[in-house]
Amino acid sequence: MARRDEARAEAAFMRGDVGVDGGATEETQDEAEVEKGKAREQLLRGRAYLGREFLTWLLWRTETGGPLVEVEGEGVSVLFMGRVVLRGVAGEVTEMSAKGTLAPYSEQVRHSLDRGLLVAQARLRFTHGEKEFEATVDSEFLDIRAGKLPALMSEEEDDQLSERLFLMEQLSAMVDALVQDFLSVRANKRWSKSVVPAMKEWMRGDEQGADALAKAARARGRDARSARG
Amino acid sequence: MSFRGGAPAGRRTGGPPGKARTATSSTLTARRSPPILPRPMPVLRGAVTLSRFRVEPAKEAPSDVKRWLTRGLKAHAFEPIDRRSEEERAVGFVELENEESSEFPASRLYYGEYALFAFRIDTIKVPAAALKAELAKWAAAFEKENGRQPSRGEKTQSRGEIRQMLRNRATPRTSTVDVSWNLKTQQVQIWSASRKVVDEITVALEGGLGVKFFGLTPASMAQTAGIDESALGPTAELIGMDLPATASEEMAHGEA
Repeated sequence: MARRDEARAEAAFMRGDVGVDGGATEETQDEAEVEKGKAREQLLRGRAYLGREFLTWLLWRTETGGPLVEVEGEGVSVLFMGRVVLRGVAGEVTEMSAKGTLAPYSEQVRHSLDRGLLVAQARLRFTHGEKEFEATVDSEFLDIRAGKLPALMSEEEDDQLSERLFLMEQLSAMVDALVQDFLSVRANKRWSKSVVPAMKEWMRGDEQGADALAKAARARGRDARSARG
Repeated sequence: MSFRGGAPAGRRTGGPPGKARTATSSTLTARRSPPILPRPMPVLRGAVTLSRFRVEPAKEAPSDVKRWLTRGLKAHAFEPIDRRSEEERAVGFVELENEESSEFPASRLYYGEYALFAFRIDTIKVPAAALKAELAKWAAAFEKENGRQPSRGEKTQSRGEIRQMLRNRATPRTSTVDVSWNLKTQQVQIWSASRKVVDEITVALEGGLGVKFFGLTPASMAQTAGIDESALGPTAELIGMDLPATASEEMAHGEA
């Protein structure tokens, strides 16, 4: 029996599984660390954090209501509704899901955002003129899932196809317009100077945060007016 | 142009299975194939689930776009699974209206400024449980007939025959994913949420047409807009920790 144990130990040493002291050569990684590492890799892969920052910024922007961008000469308003998925790398929680009609704007979600989680997936309602669209938008690829288009007006099958493709493109254009708006803010110095602090204050839920949000909105309006002028 | 899908079941299933010629045929349990219904086309109805891409020609843009696209799709046309082979999966492009056809005449491929087609995926699998059950039945019948258990070699041979028999009888699982390509804006929508399938389709289109697909992600849109990459590092205040600037230099996954 002892011989067999010896042979086993020797074989393990020859394989490189154990050192001369009989201890394991490689430390087994902590499960939490492995998970965090994966979450971190997911966040950085292809700059996926940009998509999450975009949805988080959009959530903040939609708190004020009103049109955010213009598509085909008409304003687009966005409302987060229903389920929202948050992901992060900083704390113990790497993913969190909140469900409820007003869950995205809830204090719990805002506080989670304040602790380093970002919006990874959300159900959005887009209002464009009289038309309403709904879709779940994923931050990584900006895929559209379970999208609802406005009711079709055409009766003929061919026309319905045309209309459906047209509406799908409108939905797509709205997402793109919002991303472009985000990128113009994101690449600007204003991002770290005023936008991020205003978002953080809103996450903390202080009155000042709301003031800062209104101030930022007014500043954006001024910027837009001066750009048009 | 009508969009109703549906196709003769015979061709899709590879035809009815032929009469079994081996000794195992009598022991096989008959199984009814599931009914084949016309598939709902996401492009035409139902919830909208899609991945969005911008397409750029890898070299120079083709002079006759329609001819080029038709030829490219035909190069990756769907070929049914050869039941005599070991392959379990077959993929390729088919017409949107008729998943049995890969002819792509202009009248069925182009719709206004769009090209509409589909990517068909057929899989055929012999369930391990069914194979085991049939083999056990065969072994019992063999023992009764010969008064001894089959040898290992006889079992192996029989397993191969039963597998082939079950394969001939199995109905391939067919799924299709719609693709809409706006030839004017060069935007492509792949109507699926499965990243694996979406990647497979973009690779097939890139290979067949010599184009490059770019996912419409914020990173890819920033690149298109000419935004300086150094201005787009992770925001430490939002993420809750400092991440090395070099980490963001990793490959942009938006490039399919």
